[in-house]
Amino acid sequence: MDLLWQGLVNGILLGGLYSLMALGLALVWGVLNIVNLAHGAFIMLGGYACYYMFSGLGIDPFVALPVTMAALFVFGYLLQRHLINLVIRAPMFNTLLLTFGLDVVLTYSAQIAFSADFRTINPSYAGAHFTLLGATIPLVRLIAFAIAIALTLVLWVFLARTRLGRAIRATAQNLVAARLYGVEPRSIYALTFGVGAALAGGAGALYGVVSQLNPYIGVSLTAKSFVIAIIGGLESPLGVIAGGLILGLVESMTSLYIGATYTDVASFGILVLVLIVRPTGLFGRTT
Amino acid sequence: MKPSLVRTGIAAGLVVLAGVPWIASPSIVQFGINMLLLAALAQGWNIIGGYTGYASFGNSVFYGLGSYGTAIAMLRWHLPFGIGLVLGTVIAVVFAALFGRAILRLRGHYFAICTLGLAEVMTAIVSNLEITGRNTGLVLPLLRGDVLFYELSLSLVVVATLIVAWIAHSRFGYGLIAIRENEEAAAAMGVDTTRYKVLAFSLSAAISALAGGIHAYWITFIDPVSAFDIGLNVKMIIVTVFGGPGSILGPVLGSFVLSGISEILSTNVSTVAGLFFGAVIVVAVVFMPRGVADLIRRFDKYRWRYFAENVRANRL
Repeated sequence: MDLLWQGLVNGILLGGLYSLMALGLALVWGVLNIVNLAHGAFIMLGGYACYYMFSGLGIDPFVALPVTMAALFVFGYLLQRHLINLVIRAPMFNTLLLTFGLDVVLTYSAQIAFSADFRTINPSYAGAHFTLLGATIPLVRLIAFAIAIALTLVLWVFLARTRLGRAIRATAQNLVAARLYGVEPRSIYALTFGVGAALAGGAGALYGVVSQLNPYIGVSLTAKSFVIAIIGGLESPLGVIAGGLILGLVESMTSLYIGATYTDVASFGILVLVLIVRPTGLFGRTT
Repeated sequence: MKPSLVRTGIAAGLVVLAGVPWIASPSIVQFGINMLLLAALAQGWNIIGGYTGYASFGNSVFYGLGSYGTAIAMLRWHLPFGIGLVLGTVIAVVFAALFGRAILRLRGHYFAICTLGLAEVMTAIVSNLEITGRNTGLVLPLLRGDVLFYELSLSLVVVATLIVAWIAHSRFGYGLIAIRENEEAAAAMGVDTTRYKVLAFSLSAAISALAGGIHAYWITFIDPVSAFDIGLNVKMIIVTVFGGPGSILGPVLGSFVLSGISEILSTNVSTVAGLFFGAVIVVAVVFMPRGVADLIRRFDKYRWRYFAENVRANRL
């Protein structure tokens, strides 16, 4: 029973971080119709940015987090504005391939710049933890969880309430109509992609605190983000939270009761099942 | 270029390719086998991805099933290589036909990701079965004969290309292209979309499985991670899109050019090689989105404006 409770807590804490990881991917996918295969590489870059601010300049990782997000926003904005916008009207394969190429470039650049060694962002309070009803809760994981959920809610409010958020949603729904109402898609696309990259950067900074960084983590994080986006659907950040929590719980339960080597089978098995039974995601509208 | 000239060129190229093992060094022959198998795999992917427009990440599953089918037949049941190859191919085709019916209903990214999931699940299943040797994999009997494997791979490329050439000019192929361009319209015009898609998927599976079987016996060792490697599937897609998806010779050209580039680079500077490879992909997608085949076809007419035209057509 204690084991189950601890497993549930671990799964939920992990799931919060997963939601933030997937959020940027789902946003870009929903609005620009691009599945960004370099998303995991953005997460990796965010992790390294935070790591170097912490180890080089001694800045607390949670203070470095907004700086990391701002840097990744600029990076994503410029990338979309000057590169991805050039192929946005090409068939789906081409944008998929372009982002794959970007992923390769970023991964190898990271290997050259940062070396292939494992890095962890390790502040003095990294080992702190407390117990809740018998379950051990590491402090940094709880903070990471809270920040992840908070950022997701901020995005939700931004999309739902602000003028810019409405413009982004309008572009996602109908590009032609949005243009007629004065939305400039070039900058909206760049902005959306920038926000997606910033969210990835934030997720990377948190990932660096709770886990280990190396240049090759990108691919598997992209794959996980995919799974979450599919489970949660692309329509609302709240769906993505649910998707992240489900994946976190499934992984934690699988490693607890079946074996750690089966976590990928379980998550991808769910993915295949969800796609066959409900192609629009568990929480998406049926069309 | 005139069609007769192209045909003569292809025939001459084939004769040269077939003669390579007798004049080149062993390392070049080995490079050739890898390049030809990749060309065959790309050609297989071209049928489902290029012609039908379904971005499959499941072709590495068929490749793995072909490898394991061949290996199990030879090791566990002591059957000859040829029969093992057929067995592996049959398994892959049956698998493609069964799963194809369920997952080919999904469109676009959803299909792509579902096949990706399938590949992950298959890797895990094979890692846990007794008959497949679990995580440690299987070791096949050793056959020293790079020349034989080279010629086998070359024949597979030729057969795959002939199949694609037939598809390009047949009623079946027109049906597939119609599905790619507009599936509802294709169905309305009387194309039995499900049957066509499943057939295309199965054909694609057969070619991938044959390549897997040949590779398994050549390399004499398979394990779940390398046999079901999604990276290989990504390579098939890159090579095809680089060469020209939905064209007859594009995937083969793509494999030759990209294998050549990455071979030259990896012998000189290995870390920068990967970086450069990524950059080539990015540049190619931006400036020649329809691949090398289209570049060759239309460069005469447009000259250097060809690249600018492509960017203008696809930018926002």
